[in-house]
Amino acid sequence: MIRFLIPLICLVLFFMEPVFGLFSPLNIGGELNYIVPRFLIMFLIFLTLYYDLKHAMFYGLFFGLLYDVFYIDIIGLYSFLYPATCLAAAFAFKRIPQNLVTATLLTLVLLGVFEFLLYQFFLLISLTGMPLGTFLATRLWPTMVANSIFLVMLGWVFKSVMVTQLSERDTKIGLY
Amino acid sequence: MPQLLTNKRLILLLLGVILLVALISFSLRDRGNVSLPEQIIKDAVGAGQSVFSRPAHFVTGIFDNVDSLLNTFEENEHLKTRLEEFAGVQAEVKDLRSENAELKQLVGKEEDLRDYNPIQATVIARNPDQWEEKIILNRGSNQGVAENMAVMTATGLIGKVTLTTPTTSTVELISTLNPNYRVSAMVVGGKKDVFGLIEGYDAERHELLLKRIDANVELKKGDQVVSSGLGGIFPKGILIGTITEITIDEFGLTKLAYVKPAADFSLLDHVVIADRLMPEVDGEDNGVTGDDES
Repeated sequence: MIRFLIPLICLVLFFMEPVFGLFSPLNIGGELNYIVPRFLIMFLIFLTLYYDLKHAMFYGLFFGLLYDVFYIDIIGLYSFLYPATCLAAAFAFKRIPQNLVTATLLTLVLLGVFEFLLYQFFLLISLTGMPLGTFLATRLWPTMVANSIFLVMLGWVFKSVMVTQLSERDTKIGLY
Repeated sequence: MPQLLTNKRLILLLLGVILLVALISFSLRDRGNVSLPEQIIKDAVGAGQSVFSRPAHFVTGIFDNVDSLLNTFEENEHLKTRLEEFAGVQAEVKDLRSENAELKQLVGKEEDLRDYNPIQATVIARNPDQWEEKIILNRGSNQGVAENMAVMTATGLIGKVTLTTPTTSTVELISTLNPNYRVSAMVVGGKKDVFGLIEGYDAERHELLLKRIDANVELKKGDQVVSSGLGGIFPKGILIGTITEITIDEFGLTKLAYVKPAADFSLLDHVVIADRLMPEVDGEDNGVTGDDES
């Protein structure tokens, strides 16, 4: 049962994203602020850092594909970006001090890059005409703030879940 | 893991990228059609999504209730003043309605562009990355939803259906930046109805653009804009919004009006899909029809 904890969390986060997306755009002082929930990719980055890159990339591919088909009808966008972000996370984490604070910061930096790449892609296929300044002020900034609140609240939970899963897997190594 | 990118891995990665670029360009080319595997995934994810959106709507419903409780006194005062006016208007509406029915019978006209069959639907998700203004509903082709049908809330038009699967449908909101998104509309309130096209959205003002209005026609601020039904798919008379400003368009030949949408696009939950009773024409509302699409 406990073996399915990580895919279960992925699934719940995947379904939570659009539910939180219903609250956006948030009108603060006459300015529309777009908040994009990115729970799943943050969880996947944590999975890369504290569990195993291979699992994270596999889940990234799977849920990215679901995301592509269900929400945006462009297959290959998220299913590429999710595993690529995990790969970048694994690459970067070996070169910095490894603790929860740096892991959180790294996740947020990667999230910003992720969001920016998506912006560039949608600009390229002209689904959006948003100027860079507007993007930074009304999309990237509110998104980063909202997601960092989420990560700071739940980051340590993610970590403890993965650490227990990892130790459980190591003790039962003969079964795999 | 000794080295993250060995030669073999690099080649695999490059192959993956090439495959994905091919997939992206392939799926970008016909986004209007859903293949069978896509449909199955959409239905499955849609079923899971509705499980999660139900409690969410419940919670937002509670917040809404608390919010309206706090405003009760103010609202009550306001409504009391409107109530007397309302009784008069209602009597007039009843009178006009019966007169309209009589006149219709007199000329033997039975079908009307206004009549539609409402399909109630619940919003189960909003495209979470919000680059495109899309929402997903829990009704699909099994319930009679078809592409290009008008979608509205109690306050006004919000968009049209762009994709359907057996149990879900995707709606592109009217606040989209898609240049091919048109709705034939008319301005009511003057002596004569004025026809135009809702074409495009001003993202800075958060207002719709009503284009191709005859330059000789006088329009007023505050006039109401409704769908005209002449595009062939939408029913007539769905409220779109009110005019806030009138200018000349970029070529100086026709007028352009800014229209403030009547419906609120954030926090959508229950919507109505309008299935028009009159025969519908092929194509999107006032857009390309079957043959000349290229």
